Amino acid sequence: MRILLLTALSAHLASSVLVVGTFFMLLLAGPSRAPTARRWEGAMVVWGRLLLLVALGSGIVWLLVRTALFEGRAQAALEPRAVLHAVLDTWPGLIWLARHGILVILAAFLAIRSDLTERRDWIAARVEALALGALALALMSASSHAAAISPGTALTVAIDACHLLGTGVWLGGLVALGALLRAASRDADADDRAHAVITARRFSRVALVAMLALMGSGVLNALAQVENIAALVGTPHGRLLLAKVAVLVPILGLAAVNRRRLLPALPGPEAMRRLVAFVGVEAMLALVLLVLAAAMTLTTPARHAEPVWPLPVRLSLDTPLDGSATRWRALLASQLAVLGAVALIASFFSLRRRAPLLAGALALAAVAAAVGLPPFVVDAYPTTYRRPLRTYHATSIASGSAIYWGQCAACHHGTPADLRSASTSRRHAGELFWLVSHGRPERGMPAFENRLEEAQRWDVINFIRALGTAAGSKSLGAQVQLDGAWLIAPDFTISVGPLAPGALRDYRGRRMVLLVLYTLPGSRARISELARKYNLLSTLGVEIIAVPMQTSADAIRELGASPPVLFPVVTDGNAAIIATYGMFASGPHAELLIDRQGYVRAIWRDDTGEIQVQVERLNEEKSVPPFPDDHVH
Amino acid sequence: MRVWQVAVVLNLTFAVGLGLGYAGWGRRADALDREFEAARAQVERLERERQACAAGGRAGEQQWDGRGVVRAIYPHLVVVTHEEIRGLLPARTTGFPAASPQLGDSVRVGDPVRFSLRGTLIDDAALVTIERW
Repeated sequence: MRILLLTALSAHLASSVLVVGTFFMLLLAGPSRAPTARRWEGAMVVWGRLLLLVALGSGIVWLLVRTALFEGRAQAALEPRAVLHAVLDTWPGLIWLARHGILVILAAFLAIRSDLTERRDWIAARVEALALGALALALMSASSHAAAISPGTALTVAIDACHLLGTGVWLGGLVALGALLRAASRDADADDRAHAVITARRFSRVALVAMLALMGSGVLNALAQVENIAALVGTPHGRLLLAKVAVLVPILGLAAVNRRRLLPALPGPEAMRRLVAFVGVEAMLALVLLVLAAAMTLTTPARHAEPVWPLPVRLSLDTPLDGSATRWRALLASQLAVLGAVALIASFFSLRRRAPLLAGALALAAVAAAVGLPPFVVDAYPTTYRRPLRTYHATSIASGSAIYWGQCAACHHGTPADLRSASTSRRHAGELFWLVSHGRPERGMPAFENRLEEAQRWDVINFIRALGTAAGSKSLGAQVQLDGAWLIAPDFTISVGPLAPGALRDYRGRRMVLLVLYTLPGSRARISELARKYNLLSTLGVEIIAVPMQTSADAIRELGASPPVLFPVVTDGNAAIIATYGMFASGPHAELLIDRQGYVRAIWRDDTGEIQVQVERLNEEKSVPPFPDDHVH
Repeated sequence: MRVWQVAVVLNLTFAVGLGLGYAGWGRRADALDREFEAARAQVERLERERQACAAGGRAGEQQWDGRGVVRAIYPHLVVVTHEEIRGLLPARTTGFPAASPQLGDSVRVGDPVRFSLRGTLIDDAALVTIERW
């Protein structure tokens, strides 16, 4: 079923693209009285009609197969109700309907046998056909992966439409140009050679612009839909994109030869024959590109797929430049790279010595990479870039803590393999996940894949991350350091009695949070003081969340009625919050000031904090750090 | 008919069709959405007025029901941390005037409660019933 869908979509995409290019080329070539040109024009119109039939037929097959996949039953493809549901009740279905309506109108327009001897009629006929074909093609973007990107949907759809139209002009035009050159290269049809040569030269200029637009929009599409190198090399969608780039390289080579060598040699018969052959090869490769593009449409976008890193190593810019040898390597490599760049720039200005300069630049770049990169190469695993299954949440960290102290601490706490080390914190979460799952047999570490559920393994990793930052949190004190947001506040659930629970992240972007971990009766005076200041702090943009060290359904009542405590007091799930935030500030009473972005900015390990002063400092902070990710990296 | 005339008519048809389609269907759909939201709000309001009337409220008064935890009790004010009260308030801590000074006697600070408010709008909504949840 998937292969049928891919075939139908490829045929539909190719025919839609070729329709645009065909009518674009007719317009570019202009009307001609030469018999060969008129025969070519007639053939192109017939070709256009045929392409429309293929587009409509493959479009219908594509819809039926999509309906079957949508319904999860093969027979649904032949049920009118299911097909109507797929067309009328889904966004891609509505776009399909609009596009095919336009294609039907175009087919009807082309079916009119009309007299085009007047220039005005000729131009109207070709422009109308091109406009309708381009509209039908560009509308494909409205139901593509680009339409699923938010925010900025309109921009990504516009970029994708630009990519499609560029393909239409370039690839569709290439096929039509091939047909014209082939007709003109025949000895009997030599009367039209001048027309063909002029058209080829015009197309060469247009194709250059179209190719630049294609590459530019392709890069922007990739940035939006692939996002990073891991997704590019580690997902099916990304690999299809790499395959497209690999096919594009010989196409660009052929295009350069055509433009530089063959076009200037026209209308020589040998150059004409070679140009026909090269254009044919270029068009065939371009059709392969279309099949790859259709396959990408049917694949989960790279940014939504879990990347599987294919290499045993990766580059890490977090590697510290320890030791003089490493620093010397880095220095030498950077100087070689600069020399290579100079040679590359020089090659653009020197026509005579371009080849040796380019070779020199490449050699210098290779040597620079060989010298400079090894210190930055670190081990990598298939899960290196996997996104954690569990968010950085107190419940997960507390669960990981229990597993860690039960199964990991004996070997990893206070030993040479301490997980609080800098080398551990530099590792990606996905690498830790691999090591926890598969163990390190050479160092005697067992695999936990069969001993812990996947979620439990991610819990341990969340805990290891919290453990790593806990050591650094000792540097955070009672004074807010301006522009010093680094300690991410793990999210936690705020349960007040039986009410629907909230979460710390609900306050992000809105209010600061003063998290108060308290014990009664020791903290009673401080809680009363905060209760009296609640109005003032609330006005300054602070919410106070109080968490007793012991879970108690009566926590609110235990605080007493006077003065009234009106801020949220957590009555359930306290253990996870205390276990997590206790790593940053232990003791019977602690207070943590969390800024609006979700970073811990000040910690009081007793009950004497001057909250108001620090809150005012945070309110004066001009630069705002980005919101932290919900997952560890 | 000349081809250029056909093309012009076709494009005009497209433009007019799109315009009429938006005017007759797109705008109508937007208007229907707005009307639906207004009708739903009206139905909810009528339901609250019916409840208020059944409980002895005056004409034009509505009744809102909510759930929360009592945070402070005064003779004429009960402070409650509550969930969203649909059509009135988001989830937060609010002090509600008590319709009678004895209302707070049946609950204590920290009690989870169900309560009803009655009034014409938030400024005059008063607590008329409160009971342990």
